[in-house]
Amino acid sequence: MWRVLQAVLAAFFGVQSERKRREDFQQSSPWPFILTGVLMTLVFVVAVGFLAHWASS
Amino acid sequence: MPACLPKVWRLLPAGFLLIALPVAGSQVNTSSGWNMPPGVTGISQNIFSLHMIIFWICVVIALVVFGVIFWSLFAYRKSKGAKAAHFHENTLVEVIWTALPLIILVAMAVPATATLKQLYDTSEADMDILVTGHQWRWHYQYMEEDLSFFSNLATPRSQIEGQEDKGDFYLLEVDQPLVVPTGQKIRFLFTSNDVIHSWWVPDLGIKKDTLPGFINESWTRIEEEGTYRGQCAELCGRNHAFMPIEVKAVSPEAYQSWVEERKAAAASEAANVDRERSLDELMQRGEEVYTTYCAACHQEDGGGMPPAFPALKGNALVQEESGRQQHLETVLHGRSGTPMPAYSDTLSLADIAAVITYERNAWGNNSGDRVQPAEIRELLDSDD
Ligand code: HEC
Ligand SMILES: [Cu+2]
Repeated sequence: MWRVLQAVLAAFFGVQSERKRREDFQQSSPWPFILTGVLMTLVFVVAVGFLAHWASS
Repeated sequence: MPACLPKVWRLLPAGFLLIALPVAGSQVNTSSGWNMPPGVTGISQNIFSLHMIIFWICVVIALVVFGVIFWSLFAYRKSKGAKAAHFHENTLVEVIWTALPLIILVAMAVPATATLKQLYDTSEADMDILVTGHQWRWHYQYMEEDLSFFSNLATPRSQIEGQEDKGDFYLLEVDQPLVVPTGQKIRFLFTSNDVIHSWWVPDLGIKKDTLPGFINESWTRIEEEGTYRGQCAELCGRNHAFMPIEVKAVSPEAYQSWVEERKAAAASEAANVDRERSLDELMQRGEEVYTTYCAACHQEDGGGMPPAFPALKGNALVQEESGRQQHLETVLHGRSGTPMPAYSDTLSLADIAAVITYERNAWGNNSGDRVQPAEIRELLDSDD
Protein backbone atom coordinates (compact mmCIF):
# COMPACT_ATOMS: atom_id res chain seq x y z
CA MET A 1 0.00 0.00 0.00
CA TRP A 2 2.76 2.44 0.96
CA ARG A 3 4.52 1.67 -2.30
CA VAL A 4 1.36 2.52 -4.29
CA LEU A 5 0.84 5.77 -2.41
CA GLN A 6 4.47 6.69 -2.95
CA ALA A 7 4.13 6.06 -6.69
CA VAL A 8 1.00 8.24 -6.88
CA LEU A 9 2.58 11.09 -4.90
CA ALA A 10 5.66 10.93 -7.11
CA ALA A 11 3.37 11.17 -10.14
CA PHE A 12 1.65 14.23 -8.65
CA PHE A 13 5.01 15.84 -8.10
CA GLY A 14 6.21 14.77 -11.53
CA VAL A 15 9.52 13.16 -10.56
CA GLN A 16 10.23 9.45 -10.11
CA SER A 17 13.46 7.47 -10.20
CA GLU A 18 13.94 4.86 -12.90
CA ARG A 19 14.52 2.11 -10.28
CA LYS A 20 11.18 2.70 -8.55
CA ARG A 21 9.40 2.93 -11.89
CA ARG A 22 10.68 -0.50 -12.88
CA GLU A 23 9.57 -1.98 -9.58
CA ASP A 24 6.09 -0.45 -9.92
CA PHE A 25 5.69 -1.94 -13.35
CA GLN A 26 6.41 -5.39 -11.95
CA GLN A 27 3.11 -5.40 -10.02
CA SER A 28 0.51 -7.80 -11.33
CA SER A 29 -2.43 -5.36 -11.53
CA PRO A 30 -2.64 -1.62 -12.38
CA TRP A 31 -5.90 -1.15 -10.44
CA PRO A 32 -4.43 -0.20 -7.03
CA PHE A 33 -2.50 2.61 -8.79
CA ILE A 34 -5.54 3.85 -10.71
CA LEU A 35 -7.88 3.81 -7.70
CA THR A 36 -5.34 5.50 -5.42
CA GLY A 37 -4.74 8.08 -8.14
CA VAL A 38 -8.43 8.94 -8.43
CA LEU A 39 -8.81 9.06 -4.66
CA MET A 40 -5.80 11.30 -4.18
CA THR A 41 -7.07 13.61 -6.91
CA LEU A 42 -10.28 14.06 -4.93
CA VAL A 43 -8.32 14.68 -1.74
CA PHE A 44 -6.22 17.27 -3.58
CA VAL A 45 -9.27 19.10 -4.96
CA VAL A 46 -10.93 19.24 -1.55
CA ALA A 47 -7.69 20.43 0.04
CA VAL A 48 -7.35 23.25 -2.49
CA GLY A 49 -10.99 24.14 -1.82
CA PHE A 50 -10.33 24.38 1.91
CA LEU A 51 -7.20 26.40 1.34
CA ALA A 52 -9.06 28.88 -0.86
CA HIS A 53 -11.86 29.08 1.67
CA TRP A 54 -9.44 29.70 4.51
CA ALA A 55 -7.51 32.34 2.53
CA SER A 56 -10.65 34.27 1.62
CA SER A 57 -12.25 34.29 5.06
CA MET B 1 36.83 37.59 -31.45
CA PRO B 2 40.56 37.42 -32.33
CA ALA B 3 42.37 34.55 -30.66
CA CYS B 4 45.24 36.79 -29.54
CA LEU B 5 43.14 38.47 -26.85
CA PRO B 6 43.66 37.30 -23.27
CA LYS B 7 41.09 34.73 -22.22
CA VAL B 8 39.10 36.86 -19.77
CA TRP B 9 38.52 39.52 -22.41
CA ARG B 10 36.49 37.11 -24.42
CA LEU B 11 33.94 37.05 -21.62
CA LEU B 12 33.40 40.76 -22.07
CA PRO B 13 30.11 40.69 -24.05
CA ALA B 14 28.48 38.30 -21.59
CA GLY B 15 29.65 40.43 -18.67
CA PHE B 16 28.31 43.51 -20.37
CA LEU B 17 24.89 41.91 -20.77
CA LEU B 18 24.84 40.77 -17.15
CA ILE B 19 25.40 44.34 -15.97
CA ALA B 20 23.45 46.25 -18.63
CA LEU B 21 20.19 44.31 -18.29
CA PRO B 22 19.46 45.08 -14.64
CA VAL B 23 20.53 48.70 -15.13
CA ALA B 24 18.13 49.06 -18.03
CA GLY B 25 15.49 47.35 -15.94
CA SER B 26 15.87 49.73 -13.02
CA GLN B 27 15.26 52.66 -15.37
CA VAL B 28 11.84 51.19 -16.12
CA ASN B 29 11.04 51.63 -12.45
CA THR B 30 11.26 55.42 -12.63
CA SER B 31 8.63 57.62 -14.20
CA SER B 32 9.89 57.09 -17.73
CA GLY B 33 6.36 56.54 -19.01
CA TRP B 34 7.25 52.93 -19.91
CA ASN B 35 5.91 51.47 -16.71
CA MET B 36 2.44 51.38 -15.18
CA PRO B 37 1.74 54.32 -12.84
CA PRO B 38 1.86 53.76 -9.04
CA GLY B 39 -1.44 55.63 -8.84
CA VAL B 40 -3.07 57.55 -6.01
CA THR B 41 -4.89 54.91 -3.95
CA GLY B 42 -3.70 52.27 -1.52
CA ILE B 43 -4.85 49.52 -3.87
CA SER B 44 -3.18 50.97 -6.94
CA GLN B 45 0.08 51.32 -5.00
CA ASN B 46 -0.18 47.72 -3.80
CA ILE B 47 -0.72 46.59 -7.36
CA PHE B 48 2.29 48.60 -8.45
CA SER B 49 4.62 47.15 -5.83
CA LEU B 50 3.39 43.61 -6.61
CA HIS B 51 4.18 44.29 -10.24
CA MET B 52 7.69 45.50 -9.41
CA ILE B 53 8.46 42.63 -7.00
CA ILE B 54 7.38 40.03 -9.53
CA PHE B 55 9.25 41.85 -12.27
CA TRP B 56 12.50 41.67 -10.27
CA ILE B 57 11.93 38.00 -9.40
CA CYS B 58 11.60 37.33 -13.14
CA VAL B 59 14.79 39.30 -13.84
CA VAL B 60 16.77 37.33 -11.26
CA ILE B 61 15.43 33.98 -12.53
CA ALA B 62 16.22 34.94 -16.11
CA LEU B 63 19.77 35.98 -15.20
CA VAL B 64 20.43 32.74 -13.30
CA VAL B 65 18.90 30.44 -15.91
CA PHE B 66 20.40 32.12 -18.95
CA GLY B 67 23.66 32.65 -17.07
CA VAL B 68 23.99 28.90 -16.49
CA ILE B 69 23.05 28.16 -20.11
CA PHE B 70 25.53 30.62 -21.60
CA TRP B 71 28.29 29.64 -19.21
CA SER B 72 27.77 25.94 -20.03
CA LEU B 73 27.76 26.64 -23.75
CA PHE B 74 30.96 28.56 -23.39
CA ALA B 75 32.90 26.48 -20.87
CA TYR B 76 32.00 23.11 -22.43
CA ARG B 77 32.31 23.98 -26.08
CA LYS B 78 33.33 21.39 -28.62
CA SER B 79 36.59 23.10 -29.59
CA LYS B 80 37.73 22.45 -26.03
CA GLY B 81 37.09 18.77 -26.54
CA ALA B 82 33.93 18.60 -24.40
CA LYS B 83 32.05 15.30 -24.63
CA ALA B 84 28.34 14.91 -24.00
CA ALA B 85 27.50 12.95 -20.85
CA HIS B 86 25.17 9.98 -21.21
CA PHE B 87 23.01 9.47 -18.17
CA HIS B 88 19.31 8.93 -17.78
CA GLU B 89 18.21 10.81 -14.71
CA ASN B 90 19.21 12.63 -11.60
CA THR B 91 16.36 12.48 -9.11
CA LEU B 92 17.85 15.02 -6.72
CA VAL B 93 18.30 17.71 -9.39
CA GLU B 94 14.82 17.03 -10.73
CA VAL B 95 13.28 17.38 -7.28
CA ILE B 96 15.10 20.68 -6.79
CA TRP B 97 14.04 22.19 -10.08
CA THR B 98 10.45 21.14 -9.46
CA ALA B 99 10.24 22.30 -5.86
CA LEU B 100 11.98 25.65 -6.37
CA PRO B 101 9.45 27.12 -8.83
CA LEU B 102 6.66 25.81 -6.60
CA ILE B 103 8.07 27.69 -3.63
CA ILE B 104 8.60 30.85 -5.70
CA LEU B 105 5.04 30.72 -7.05
CA VAL B 106 3.51 30.24 -3.61
CA ALA B 107 5.68 33.07 -2.25
CA MET B 108 4.32 35.37 -4.98
CA ALA B 109 0.75 34.17 -4.48
CA VAL B 110 0.63 35.18 -0.81
CA PRO B 111 0.92 39.00 -1.22
CA ALA B 112 -1.07 38.83 -4.49
CA THR B 113 -3.98 37.10 -2.75
CA ALA B 114 -3.92 39.65 0.06
CA THR B 115 -4.23 42.47 -2.50
CA LEU B 116 -7.00 40.66 -4.38
CA LYS B 117 -8.96 40.30 -1.16
CA GLN B 118 -8.69 44.04 -0.55
CA LEU B 119 -9.66 44.74 -4.14
CA TYR B 120 -12.92 42.84 -3.83
CA ASP B 121 -13.89 44.12 -0.40
CA THR B 122 -16.60 46.63 -1.32
CA SER B 123 -18.20 46.56 2.12
CA GLU B 124 -18.75 49.62 4.33
CA ALA B 125 -18.55 52.20 1.58
CA ASP B 126 -19.32 55.85 2.36
CA MET B 127 -21.07 56.38 -0.96
CA ASP B 128 -22.11 54.52 -4.12
CA ILE B 129 -21.87 55.57 -7.74
CA LEU B 130 -23.55 53.68 -10.59
CA VAL B 131 -21.44 53.82 -13.74
CA THR B 132 -23.28 52.93 -16.95
CA GLY B 133 -21.54 52.52 -20.30
CA HIS B 134 -23.35 53.89 -23.33
CA GLN B 135 -22.29 54.00 -26.96
CA TRP B 136 -20.26 56.27 -26.63
CA ARG B 137 -20.35 58.12 -23.34
CA TRP B 138 -20.38 57.36 -19.64
CA HIS B 139 -23.32 57.96 -17.35
CA TYR B 140 -22.80 58.53 -13.62
CA GLN B 141 -25.47 58.27 -10.99
CA TYR B 142 -24.83 59.21 -7.37
CA MET B 143 -26.99 56.71 -5.54
CA GLU B 144 -27.37 58.67 -2.30
CA GLU B 145 -28.05 61.96 -4.06
CA ASP B 146 -30.69 62.82 -6.58
CA LEU B 147 -27.97 63.42 -9.09
CA SER B 148 -26.95 61.86 -12.40
CA PHE B 149 -25.45 63.02 -15.67
CA PHE B 150 -23.70 62.00 -18.88
CA SER B 151 -20.02 62.63 -19.36
CA ASN B 152 -19.15 63.37 -23.01
CA LEU B 153 -15.92 63.79 -24.92
CA ALA B 154 -14.95 67.48 -24.93
CA THR B 155 -12.13 67.45 -27.48
CA PRO B 156 -13.23 69.62 -30.42
CA ARG B 157 -13.73 67.91 -33.78
CA SER B 158 -11.28 70.34 -35.36
CA GLN B 159 -8.48 68.71 -33.33
CA ILE B 160 -9.69 65.22 -34.20
CA GLU B 161 -9.80 66.06 -37.89
CA GLY B 162 -6.35 67.65 -37.82
CA GLN B 163 -7.36 71.25 -38.61
CA GLU B 164 -6.01 72.35 -35.23
CA ASP B 165 -3.11 71.28 -33.03
CA LYS B 166 -3.90 68.61 -30.48
CA GLY B 167 -4.35 69.82 -26.89
CA ASP B 168 -2.62 68.40 -23.82
CA PHE B 169 -5.54 66.15 -22.97
CA TYR B 170 -6.48 65.18 -26.50
CA LEU B 171 -9.29 62.57 -26.31
CA LEU B 172 -8.88 62.45 -22.51
CA GLU B 173 -11.15 65.39 -21.61
CA VAL B 174 -14.90 65.48 -20.95
CA ASP B 175 -17.60 68.12 -20.57
CA GLN B 176 -18.64 66.99 -17.07
CA PRO B 177 -16.09 65.02 -15.03
CA LEU B 178 -17.00 62.56 -12.31
CA VAL B 179 -16.47 64.58 -9.13
CA VAL B 180 -15.68 62.60 -5.96
CA PRO B 181 -14.50 63.48 -2.45
CA THR B 182 -11.03 62.53 -1.22
CA GLY B 183 -10.51 60.24 1.78
CA GLN B 184 -13.86 58.47 1.44
CA LYS B 185 -14.54 54.89 0.43
CA ILE B 186 -16.48 55.05 -2.82
CA ARG B 187 -18.17 51.95 -4.15
CA PHE B 188 -18.67 51.77 -7.90
CA LEU B 189 -21.41 49.68 -9.50
CA PHE B 190 -20.82 49.01 -13.18
CA THR B 191 -23.30 48.12 -15.87
CA SER B 192 -23.99 48.88 -19.51
CA ASN B 193 -26.87 50.15 -21.57
CA ASP B 194 -25.85 48.44 -24.80
CA VAL B 195 -22.60 46.53 -25.45
CA ILE B 196 -19.65 45.62 -23.22
CA HIS B 197 -17.50 48.58 -22.23
CA SER B 198 -14.73 48.76 -19.65
CA TRP B 199 -14.14 51.57 -17.17
CA TRP B 200 -10.40 51.99 -16.92
CA VAL B 201 -8.61 54.60 -14.80
CA PRO B 202 -4.95 53.53 -14.28
CA ASP B 203 -4.29 55.97 -11.42
CA LEU B 204 -7.09 54.38 -9.38
CA GLY B 205 -6.01 50.83 -10.24
CA ILE B 206 -9.48 50.09 -11.65
CA LYS B 207 -10.30 48.40 -14.92
CA LYS B 208 -13.75 46.88 -14.77
CA ASP B 209 -15.93 45.57 -17.57
CA THR B 210 -19.45 46.97 -17.79
CA LEU B 211 -21.85 44.30 -19.01
CA PRO B 212 -25.47 44.78 -20.08
CA GLY B 213 -27.72 43.00 -17.59
CA PHE B 214 -24.99 42.48 -14.99
CA ILE B 215 -23.59 44.57 -12.16
CA ASN B 216 -19.87 44.53 -11.39
CA GLU B 217 -18.42 46.18 -8.31
CA SER B 218 -15.22 47.89 -7.34
CA TRP B 219 -14.17 50.60 -4.93
CA THR B 220 -11.63 53.33 -4.37
CA ARG B 221 -10.40 55.72 -1.73
CA ILE B 222 -8.46 58.58 -3.28
CA GLU B 223 -6.07 60.35 -0.93
CA GLU B 224 -4.75 63.09 -3.22
CA GLU B 225 -6.83 65.79 -4.84
CA GLY B 226 -6.41 65.90 -8.58
CA THR B 227 -7.74 64.92 -11.98
CA TYR B 228 -7.30 61.31 -13.05
CA ARG B 229 -7.99 60.29 -16.61
CA GLY B 230 -8.88 57.06 -18.30
CA GLN B 231 -10.55 55.45 -21.29
CA CYS B 232 -12.97 52.76 -22.34
CA ALA B 233 -10.88 49.58 -22.49
CA GLU B 234 -13.24 47.26 -24.35
CA LEU B 235 -13.76 47.73 -28.08
CA CYS B 236 -17.38 48.89 -28.22
CA GLY B 237 -18.00 50.24 -31.70
CA ARG B 238 -16.94 53.08 -33.95
CA ASN B 239 -16.49 55.74 -31.25
CA HIS B 240 -14.77 53.47 -28.74
CA ALA B 241 -11.78 55.81 -28.64
CA PHE B 242 -14.01 58.83 -28.03
CA MET B 243 -15.53 58.04 -24.61
CA PRO B 244 -12.85 59.05 -22.11
CA ILE B 245 -13.13 59.15 -18.33
CA GLU B 246 -12.20 62.10 -16.15
CA VAL B 247 -12.31 61.70 -12.37
CA LYS B 248 -11.89 64.86 -10.32
CA ALA B 249 -11.06 64.26 -6.66
CA VAL B 250 -11.75 67.27 -4.43
CA SER B 251 -11.94 67.88 -0.68
CA PRO B 252 -15.16 66.65 0.99
CA GLU B 253 -16.27 70.27 1.54
CA ALA B 254 -15.73 71.21 -2.09
CA TYR B 255 -17.57 68.03 -3.06
CA GLN B 256 -20.58 68.95 -0.92
CA SER B 257 -20.85 72.41 -2.42
CA TRP B 258 -20.49 70.94 -5.91
CA VAL B 259 -23.43 68.60 -5.18
CA GLU B 260 -25.54 71.53 -3.95
CA GLU B 261 -24.66 73.53 -7.05
CA ARG B 262 -25.61 70.70 -9.37
CA LYS B 263 -28.91 70.19 -7.62
CA ALA B 264 -29.71 73.91 -7.69
CA ALA B 265 -28.93 74.03 -11.41
CA ALA B 266 -31.20 71.05 -12.08
CA ALA B 267 -34.00 72.60 -10.04
CA SER B 268 -33.79 75.94 -11.82
CA GLU B 269 -33.77 74.18 -15.19
CA ALA B 270 -36.93 72.27 -14.25
CA ALA B 271 -38.56 75.49 -13.05
CA ASN B 272 -37.61 77.17 -16.30
CA VAL B 273 -39.12 74.70 -18.74
CA ASP B 274 -42.01 77.04 -19.52
CA ARG B 275 -39.83 79.98 -20.34
CA GLU B 276 -40.12 80.92 -24.01
CA ARG B 277 -36.69 80.70 -25.68
CA SER B 278 -35.44 82.84 -28.54
CA LEU B 279 -34.23 81.31 -31.80
CA ASP B 280 -30.67 82.42 -31.04
CA GLU B 281 -30.62 80.79 -27.64
CA LEU B 282 -32.04 77.54 -29.02
CA MET B 283 -29.61 77.54 -31.95
CA GLN B 284 -26.59 78.11 -29.75
CA ARG B 285 -27.42 75.29 -27.33
CA GLY B 286 -28.66 73.14 -30.21
CA GLU B 287 -25.33 73.28 -31.98
CA GLU B 288 -23.51 72.04 -28.87
CA VAL B 289 -25.95 69.18 -28.39
CA TYR B 290 -25.82 68.28 -32.08
CA THR B 291 -22.01 68.18 -32.08
CA THR B 292 -21.91 65.98 -29.00
CA TYR B 293 -24.76 63.58 -29.73
CA CYS B 294 -25.66 63.57 -33.42
CA ALA B 295 -22.62 64.56 -35.50
CA ALA B 296 -21.01 61.12 -35.14
CA CYS B 297 -23.67 59.70 -37.49
CA HIS B 298 -25.33 62.65 -39.25
CA GLN B 299 -22.04 64.59 -39.57
CA GLU B 300 -21.14 68.13 -38.57
CA ASP B 301 -22.47 69.59 -41.83
CA GLY B 302 -25.74 67.64 -41.65
CA GLY B 303 -24.76 65.75 -44.78
CA GLY B 304 -24.95 62.33 -43.09
CA MET B 305 -23.34 59.29 -44.69
CA PRO B 306 -26.04 57.93 -46.98
CA PRO B 307 -27.32 55.30 -47.23
CA ALA B 308 -26.33 54.33 -43.65
CA PHE B 309 -27.06 57.68 -41.99
CA PRO B 310 -29.52 59.98 -43.80
CA ALA B 311 -28.67 63.60 -44.49
CA LEU B 312 -30.61 66.10 -42.37
CA LYS B 313 -29.56 69.02 -44.51
CA GLY B 314 -32.24 69.66 -47.11
CA ASN B 315 -34.30 66.78 -45.68
CA ALA B 316 -38.07 67.40 -46.10
CA LEU B 317 -38.83 65.83 -42.70
CA VAL B 318 -36.46 68.25 -41.01
CA GLN B 319 -37.40 71.31 -43.04
CA GLU B 320 -41.09 71.32 -43.75
CA GLU B 321 -44.07 71.81 -41.49
CA SER B 322 -45.60 68.50 -42.62
CA GLY B 323 -42.60 66.57 -41.26
CA ARG B 324 -42.45 68.39 -37.94
CA GLN B 325 -44.43 65.88 -35.87
CA GLN B 326 -42.50 62.91 -37.23
CA HIS B 327 -39.22 64.76 -36.70
CA LEU B 328 -40.03 65.22 -33.02
CA GLU B 329 -41.14 61.60 -32.63
CA THR B 330 -37.97 60.33 -34.33
CA VAL B 331 -35.64 62.21 -31.99
CA LEU B 332 -37.63 61.34 -28.85
CA HIS B 333 -38.21 57.66 -29.53
CA GLY B 334 -35.60 56.75 -32.13
CA ARG B 335 -36.34 54.31 -34.93
CA SER B 336 -36.44 50.77 -33.67
CA GLY B 337 -34.53 48.33 -35.81
CA THR B 338 -32.16 51.08 -37.01
CA PRO B 339 -29.13 52.68 -35.34
CA MET B 340 -31.15 55.88 -34.68
CA PRO B 341 -31.28 56.05 -30.83
CA ALA B 342 -34.12 57.39 -28.66
CA TYR B 343 -33.17 60.59 -26.83
CA SER B 344 -36.11 61.05 -24.45
CA ASP B 345 -34.12 59.51 -21.57
CA THR B 346 -30.70 60.79 -22.56
CA LEU B 347 -31.26 64.50 -23.11
CA SER B 348 -33.09 67.12 -21.07
CA LEU B 349 -36.28 68.72 -22.42
CA ALA B 350 -34.37 71.92 -23.13
CA ASP B 351 -31.62 70.06 -25.00
CA ILE B 352 -34.10 68.12 -27.13
CA ALA B 353 -35.96 71.30 -28.04
CA ALA B 354 -32.67 73.03 -28.84
CA VAL B 355 -31.24 70.28 -31.03
CA ILE B 356 -34.45 69.91 -33.02
CA THR B 357 -34.61 73.67 -33.53
CA TYR B 358 -30.98 73.59 -34.62
CA GLU B 359 -31.62 70.85 -37.20
CA ARG B 360 -34.58 72.74 -38.59
CA ASN B 361 -32.56 75.95 -39.08
CA ALA B 362 -28.93 75.01 -39.64
CA TRP B 363 -27.14 74.31 -42.93
CA GLY B 364 -29.67 76.30 -44.96
CA ASN B 365 -32.68 74.46 -43.51
CA ASN B 366 -34.12 77.91 -42.84
CA SER B 367 -37.56 76.95 -41.64
CA GLY B 368 -37.53 79.68 -38.98
CA ASP B 369 -39.30 77.11 -36.83
CA ARG B 370 -38.76 77.05 -33.05
CA VAL B 371 -39.39 74.11 -30.72
CA GLN B 372 -39.86 74.95 -27.04
CA PRO B 373 -39.08 72.62 -24.08
CA ALA B 374 -42.72 72.85 -22.94
CA GLU B 375 -43.85 71.38 -26.26
CA ILE B 376 -41.52 68.41 -25.78
CA ARG B 377 -42.86 67.88 -22.26
CA GLU B 378 -46.45 67.91 -23.54
CA LEU B 379 -45.58 65.40 -26.24
CA LEU B 380 -43.90 63.06 -23.75
CA ASP B 381 -46.81 63.36 -21.30
CA SER B 382 -49.34 62.53 -23.99
CA ASP B 383 -47.29 59.47 -25.00
CA ASP B 384 -47.55 57.91 -21.58
C1 HEC C 1 -25.77 55.95 -34.08
C2 HEC C 1 -26.07 56.78 -35.20
C3 HEC C 1 -27.08 57.92 -35.03
C4 HEC C 1 -27.04 58.95 -34.11
C5 HEC C 1 -26.00 59.18 -33.02
C6 HEC C 1 -28.15 59.78 -34.44
N1 HEC C 1 -28.83 59.28 -35.49
FE1 HEC C 1 -30.49 60.12 -36.32
N2 HEC C 1 -30.61 58.55 -37.60
C7 HEC C 1 -29.75 57.49 -37.67
C8 HEC C 1 -30.21 56.57 -38.68
C9 HEC C 1 -29.53 55.26 -39.07
C10 HEC C 1 -31.41 57.10 -39.19
C11 HEC C 1 -32.29 56.49 -40.29
C12 HEC C 1 -33.36 55.66 -39.59
C13 HEC C 1 -34.24 54.94 -40.59
O1 HEC C 1 -33.69 54.21 -41.40
O2 HEC C 1 -35.46 55.16 -40.51
C14 HEC C 1 -31.62 58.33 -38.51
C15 HEC C 1 -32.69 59.18 -38.75
C16 HEC C 1 -32.87 60.42 -38.18
C17 HEC C 1 -33.91 61.34 -38.53
C18 HEC C 1 -34.98 61.10 -39.56
C19 HEC C 1 -34.41 61.39 -40.91
C20 HEC C 1 -35.30 60.86 -42.01
O3 HEC C 1 -35.09 61.31 -43.14
O4 HEC C 1 -36.12 59.98 -41.75
C21 HEC C 1 -33.74 62.45 -37.75
C22 HEC C 1 -34.58 63.71 -37.77
C23 HEC C 1 -32.59 62.20 -36.92
N3 HEC C 1 -32.09 60.96 -37.20
C24 HEC C 1 -32.13 63.10 -35.96
C25 HEC C 1 -31.10 62.81 -35.09
C26 HEC C 1 -30.71 63.67 -34.00
C27 HEC C 1 -31.34 65.00 -33.65
C28 HEC C 1 -29.69 63.07 -33.37
C29 HEC C 1 -28.94 63.54 -32.14
C30 HEC C 1 -29.68 63.98 -31.02
C31 HEC C 1 -29.43 61.83 -34.08
N4 HEC C 1 -30.29 61.70 -35.10
C32 HEC C 1 -28.43 60.94 -33.72
C33 HEC C 1 -28.59 57.32 -36.93
C34 HEC C 1 -28.21 58.14 -35.89
CU1 LIG D 1 -16.93 51.69 -24.68
